[in-house]
Amino acid sequence: MIASRSPIVRLGVRAASPLAIVIAVYLLFAGHNRPGGGFAAGLVLGAVVTLRTLAGLQRPTHATGLITSGVVLVAAIAFIPLLWGDPLLDQQVGSIELPVLGKVKSGSALPFDIGVTAIVMGLIVALLDGLSDPTAEGGDPAPVEQEERR
Amino acid sequence: MNTLIALTIIAPLLGAATGLAFRTNSRARDASTLLGTGVAAAAAVWILVRVADTGSHVMAVGGWNPELGIVLVADLFAALVLPVALLIIFVVEIFAIGQRRTAWGANPELAGPLLGVLTAGVSLAMLTGDLFTLFVAFELILVSSYVLLTHQGQRGQIRSGMTYVVMNLLASTLFLLGLAVVYAATGTVNMALLAERVPELPTGVRVGIGAWFFVVFGTKAAIFPLFSWLPDSYPTAPTTITAVFAGLLTKIGVYAMIRFHTLTGMDDLGTIMLLIAGATMVIGAIGALAQSDVKRILSFHIVSQIGYMLMGLGLFSAAGTAGAILFLVHHMPVKTVLFLVGGLIENHQGTSALDRSGGLAARRPLIAALFAVPALSLAGLPPFSGFVAKFAVISAGIEQEATPIVVVALFAGALTLLSMTKIWLGVFWGPSPELAAAPARAVGNRRTMVAATGLAVAGTLAISLFAGTLFELSQRASEDLRSPAAYISEVTS
Repeated sequence: MIASRSPIVRLGVRAASPLAIVIAVYLLFAGHNRPGGGFAAGLVLGAVVTLRTLAGLQRPTHATGLITSGVVLVAAIAFIPLLWGDPLLDQQVGSIELPVLGKVKSGSALPFDIGVTAIVMGLIVALLDGLSDPTAEGGDPAPVEQEERR
Repeated sequence: MNTLIALTIIAPLLGAATGLAFRTNSRARDASTLLGTGVAAAAAVWILVRVADTGSHVMAVGGWNPELGIVLVADLFAALVLPVALLIIFVVEIFAIGQRRTAWGANPELAGPLLGVLTAGVSLAMLTGDLFTLFVAFELILVSSYVLLTHQGQRGQIRSGMTYVVMNLLASTLFLLGLAVVYAATGTVNMALLAERVPELPTGVRVGIGAWFFVVFGTKAAIFPLFSWLPDSYPTAPTTITAVFAGLLTKIGVYAMIRFHTLTGMDDLGTIMLLIAGATMVIGAIGALAQSDVKRILSFHIVSQIGYMLMGLGLFSAAGTAGAILFLVHHMPVKTVLFLVGGLIENHQGTSALDRSGGLAARRPLIAALFAVPALSLAGLPPFSGFVAKFAVISAGIEQEATPIVVVALFAGALTLLSMTKIWLGVFWGPSPELAAAPARAVGNRRTMVAATGLAVAGTLAISLFAGTLFELSQRASEDLRSPAAYISEVTS
């Protein structure tokens, strides 16, 4: 990667990563009542992963793990209300008093959003794996190129 | 009932997710994807039993008001088509397990989970009660189909895959624009509310919306001027993938068309639909005659058969719609079986080209028998399911005195029989060619493949056996669609 030779880029990405993660967490929680949500949070985290890949920094690698756990979590949250005879995807909302934050209201939509975040992030990690290393799992060894070179 | 409806969508998705997690352990992976589809198919059969007994069931997802939220509606039409579709995918997945070690097999690490996602999309497309969720379901199906079609990365697949992707993206874009038009005109995308509000629109707007969605669904269904992407792209994919696509994808387009255009009462489009139906039938059948490869002949037949369903719909009578529904139910398994047999042929002699094969009836009589039943059924010969379905459509045409389309339909039926004869002569009779006698590559587990094909053939025979019941159910489903008052009150209440 070209960026890995530039200390400015590397330092910048390293400094920006925690900020971006804070923004992603904000979006995840804001999604209940304001613009945001699991998908947007996943995209922000995916952007962090992409930047870190370009800068040659450490990044998450387990794409299938992320996707699988995300889908299982989402499906479980969607399905559980049916056990009590409620419709699919029905939401349970509860609120508790916390010492610093005051009254916090949240519901079963939160783990659902976390699952969506995991899926989006997993897909971006899989995409980067496939683009950066053609022999990595998930990517084909590109027989088309070989054919055309002949 | 809520649980059953949810299972048809969630079980295949979960199967896909766990299949992805087990990607290197082939046994666990196959077990989880098969289990996902199997559970969904069982749930779908149970839904059919319940709906036929007690009437349709509506589930408002998340408990939202239908005007705002998503509704899943298991009415008789959905309940009738869904189990057939899911059982087909289940059988094809078994076939794929037998075939995966061959050169024609799909990459199982990808194909299993992606078929799971596609299955979830199929369930959603059939059960959804609003147009936007239908769009989402179409996208779910299409995105996985893009990958399934091209994942082997061979040159022919990429080239024809491009046409497929471009045509379908275009149709999806038109779909989205059409949704905007519908929402602007009526203020809703819920089908029950549309059934109420669209007939009250000015004629120009109403017919415009109908024609717009006719083009959108017609592109997916491969009707006459919009079918060119199909015969090019389908034969290049691995057999199992083609079998699922052939059995299901175009039929989802027809399904959406039958639902949307009958519910909203688009009777004004009847004449143009009949014209296009006739052209689709004849051009598909003639195109099939000109081909010299089993898979290409069968691909052109998909186009031709779509014409019959469109004819049933275009008549806009209760009998016509019932015929179209019955034809849909008959056609999905028969077409899939024919492609599976095509896969068996390819597996045995290393090619599916007619001029390089022959004499298979003597060497493999079982395969010949497995081909003969669905082929005769497709051509519409009694006592097979194709006869019942064609009879229903054509008698509806006679009832309405639509003589030209009836004549065209009978003529296209004869052409179909002719091209089936062509496959029979080329592949099963005649001398065995020497060069193709011993396919050098690994051949996979033939017993699994033959068993899966046999199971599917038995399924098509069961359809002709229970034709009476199925026809009666189709009639009830068609009456529900033609007079949507009950549908509207069930969804909106």
